[in-house]
Amino acid sequence: MITAGIDVGTQSVKVVVLKDSKILSREKTFSGFEPAKAAEQAFEETLKKAKVSRSDIKHVTATGAGAEMATYRDSTISMVGADAKAGAYLFPTARTVIDIGAEEARAVRCDEKGTLLNFVVNERCAAGAGTFIEAMARALEVKLEEMGPLSLKAEKASQINATCVIFGESDVVTLIHRQEPKPEIARAIYDAMADRISSMVYRLGVNPDVALVGGVAKDVGFVASLKRKLGTDVLIHDNPEFAGALGAALVASKRAGVSN
Amino acid sequence: MTSKDETGMKYLPEIPQKEIDEIRSSIKATSMKVTSENIERMKKSAPNRPEAMTYFDGIADFFGQREREIRAAKEEGKKVIGYMCMFAPIEFILAADAIPVRVHSGWYDTSKIGDRIVPVEVCPVIRSTIGAKMVGLSPYLELSDAIISTLTCDGMTKLCEILSDQKPVWTMCPPRVKDSPQSMNFWREELKAVKQKIEDLTGNKITEKKLRSAIELLQRATKAFRRLQDLRKDSPVIMGRDAMLVNQTSAWDDVKRWTQKTEELCDELEKRVQQKTWACPPDTPRVMVTGTPMVWPDNWKLPNLIEEADPQGILVADELCSSDRLLYDPVGVDEWTMDDMFNAVAERYLLTSTCPCFTSKDGNKDRINWLLDKLKEFRVNGVIYYVVRGCMLYAMEYTRIKRILDHRNVPIYYLDTEYTREDVGQMKTRVEAFLEMLKAGAEG
Amino acid sequence: MMGTIAQFLQATIAVGAVIAGALAIILGVKDRTKKISCLRIYAQTISLGVIFFGLFTGPFGLTQYPPIGNAPRDTLIGTTVFGAPFPDGLSVPTMACYYPSGRTMTCVLWQIQAYIFPFWSAGKGWGVNYVSSGLERLAIAFGLLIVMSVILGRFFCGWICPFGFYMDLITRVRKVLKVRHRNLSEGLNDGLRQLRYLVIAAVLLLSFIFGAEAIVGTQLVSGTEYKGFVYQYFSAPFCQVCPMRPLCVLVEGALGYMNLQYVFSQATGLFYEIGYYVTSLNVAVLILVTVGAFALRRFWCRICPLGGLIAVFNRFVPFKWASVIRLDKEEEKCTKCGICKRVCPPQVTEVYEGKGGDVTASGCILCFRCIEMCPYEDCLKINVAGKTVFGSRNWLETIK
Repeated sequence: MITAGIDVGTQSVKVVVLKDSKILSREKTFSGFEPAKAAEQAFEETLKKAKVSRSDIKHVTATGAGAEMATYRDSTISMVGADAKAGAYLFPTARTVIDIGAEEARAVRCDEKGTLLNFVVNERCAAGAGTFIEAMARALEVKLEEMGPLSLKAEKASQINATCVIFGESDVVTLIHRQEPKPEIARAIYDAMADRISSMVYRLGVNPDVALVGGVAKDVGFVASLKRKLGTDVLIHDNPEFAGALGAALVASKRAGVSN
Repeated sequence: MTSKDETGMKYLPEIPQKEIDEIRSSIKATSMKVTSENIERMKKSAPNRPEAMTYFDGIADFFGQREREIRAAKEEGKKVIGYMCMFAPIEFILAADAIPVRVHSGWYDTSKIGDRIVPVEVCPVIRSTIGAKMVGLSPYLELSDAIISTLTCDGMTKLCEILSDQKPVWTMCPPRVKDSPQSMNFWREELKAVKQKIEDLTGNKITEKKLRSAIELLQRATKAFRRLQDLRKDSPVIMGRDAMLVNQTSAWDDVKRWTQKTEELCDELEKRVQQKTWACPPDTPRVMVTGTPMVWPDNWKLPNLIEEADPQGILVADELCSSDRLLYDPVGVDEWTMDDMFNAVAERYLLTSTCPCFTSKDGNKDRINWLLDKLKEFRVNGVIYYVVRGCMLYAMEYTRIKRILDHRNVPIYYLDTEYTREDVGQMKTRVEAFLEMLKAGAEG
Repeated sequence: MMGTIAQFLQATIAVGAVIAGALAIILGVKDRTKKISCLRIYAQTISLGVIFFGLFTGPFGLTQYPPIGNAPRDTLIGTTVFGAPFPDGLSVPTMACYYPSGRTMTCVLWQIQAYIFPFWSAGKGWGVNYVSSGLERLAIAFGLLIVMSVILGRFFCGWICPFGFYMDLITRVRKVLKVRHRNLSEGLNDGLRQLRYLVIAAVLLLSFIFGAEAIVGTQLVSGTEYKGFVYQYFSAPFCQVCPMRPLCVLVEGALGYMNLQYVFSQATGLFYEIGYYVTSLNVAVLILVTVGAFALRRFWCRICPLGGLIAVFNRFVPFKWASVIRLDKEEEKCTKCGICKRVCPPQVTEVYEGKGGDVTASGCILCFRCIEMCPYEDCLKINVAGKTVFGSRNWLETIK
């Protein structure tokens, strides 16, 4: 049975096509100003890659902030529901899944079947999501993909007092003027974010194993800080930004099976 | 003190009448739109909505029938006494032949007006009421000859000062510890004082006979109220929003008529129980909301989300002083003497309250016991703990309630919000996730 | 044979009528806030009739004790059914006063006093010959007291005791006159409750002191010898001050069942404070209690030592574990509305304060008013041997 999941995020659209619980193909497009079009496009691309046509797809489930933009969807699932399913699929031992997207961070507790047991969401404060790192990278005048490796060079972190993105940015500028070494500033930035994320996770309760998905999981600097703050190891998979779409596709499989 | 100081002593500024009229008409238009929208949405969610609800839809309009009735009564010389919290002795007001109306504000837009006077951190219900007063939006507030303001929380305490700039405000101070022996004595004195004020304002003495009929009138209202809530215990025969609207309208409608109409609604619902005509599938996740009051019309935000979500949920019960708590407890009179009736009224208003503004000898367990009982009786699948930002009292009680519900394996989700429409999208994702969780819990 | 059959039929019809009356009330009184109270008054009336049944059956105009009156001294249930071990009738922990005519049972407090002094040894009593020793009779009396206390507890006080009925009648009169009642402070009420036990102890001690000659061989108080002053007129210390005695005696006297002139002639002392049938102290206490009952509901019941005796064998360890009738509270259903505390005639607070489970209190007379008035379903319940027989209901459903 072939199903598809689509994650219409604020920055990008991700699509995953599954056949009998195996990933056939995946595709990512930037949302831009017309997310509906981007969603359509991404879907077409993924189908092509998988060499299947629309009629082959039994069920399409959409998730993400713009799930309603996926006009061809058969159902929707919440992002935390998708996270739970994807987490259990990718990491059978994971019981806590952290998903950090561009603008929102979530933590989810699940069981081995991917049932959503509890969740906590942090969407009000951007200092706990991907855009924070982007903004800080700009302030540091460092390329986004270089910031992670840069921070790993540091032995300790500079002092950042601000708890907020806006004030954090001016803090960083001050540190640069004081000629603090960039690796240390970078590490401080990651530590601040990891702090915020881990206090959110503590509200949920840390149940090992802990998995990290979402685009930010590719950032080695953040992952290192998070491991330090949580005090546990964190499981990471390739293509972590596709977790939402994968979870949605898994849900689609379940629902297609049920409706039969 | 100079006359300039006198002006300065007032909280409320002088606003040019033109500005007031502009703001008021704009917010009034929005309010009427939201009201009719909510009703449309409720009708859409339950295609077989009971016919008896039509009456309540009419009363739900703040600027409609009820306003006209109260205005007409005032012209005939009747007095209108507004009140904010549930502690005002409605029986006394009715016995003195006055009209009781609850004047807490449920308009989002007026809270921004209130922001001109008090900080944004203040409870939005308070800010909204201040704003409503500043632009004269609430018909009931404007028509009140006096306002009974109970000093339950910080916001309420200062609100009574603010409102007294333009209205006579009578304070009632419930003791923070409900059940110490001194508390009841003090509360009785407060009630005696208010009783006297009511008699002075209306010019009517509250006699034994009148008080008895007022108490009996409210007992009949409580009977109808409980009958309605009991019908929500089993399979869903009425959507939560509809029941909540019925509950809320009791706070400003004519008590006798409201009772009769609610009984008619219950008769209709009982027929549906027999015919098994459900408002939604019986396996719909059953949600209970507890927390700060959700005042009509703008605060239907969360109930709308719950009952229109995918998967759909149904509000089967709540612990809100704007809904299921309103008329739940009766006044139990032992001997129909003035003395016993007075004590019965005093005790009913103070001792039964589950508001977290209290603590008690056993640490305010009343609220927890009430919740636990309702969880069982209404077969609740999950609880949403609803707090408007700024309410320390409800926010602080969350910790303990979460622990107790965790022990009982009942999912509980903390949802805080503001008097704003901007966070509907965010709330939607969380509510839907929670409902998904409940559905999965029920299936798995 | 025919006589027995006739008696059996009479008894059956009587019992049937009583049950029919009870059913009529249970089904006929719709208002849930009044149903139990009506049933209770009915039970109290029937009890009064049963306890003083002799006044109906006679025989009248006996030659045995002419100065007393025309009704029989007693028509005891105990003796007819159980014979010798119950020479003074069935002991009941209720005020079935020994002294008036026509009684069918006997107040156990009188029996306890009397069997210590003056009837410690076998022999002649008041109009009866005791074949058993005082100790044996005491054992039986206590045995009955304990069994009844464990099984029914203060149900006697709420539903059977004629003096409780008197207290309730005063309350009714007060209500008709629209006079409001007062409340004692919790501390004072508790204090009075504790006083009961002191009174019991004092009474027992006094009886032992009087009976010292028969019990330990040395007379401690003069006049306690056979036919001595104390023996004749002061043998039961508590009965000298009990308000039930004058109530019965005076009412019966007024109705012609007892000869009041003779009754008063048996009182002596400076203020007639010592006497066989009634004393001035009795009357003073009765007046005090009657007036007090206008201000405080069930005034006597708060301090009644008989109630205290029952409480000892019902509310204290180890009897507490065996007591059959209990008031049970479901904590989650309780909203702490305080109605139970306010409507309680003897002002018991344990039902309100109790956390959950067994909330039976030593001051509670099991009148069930709290259950009747509690508006939350199944919050307060009466459990008999662990099974719920009656619980609080949403009485709003039955108001007009």
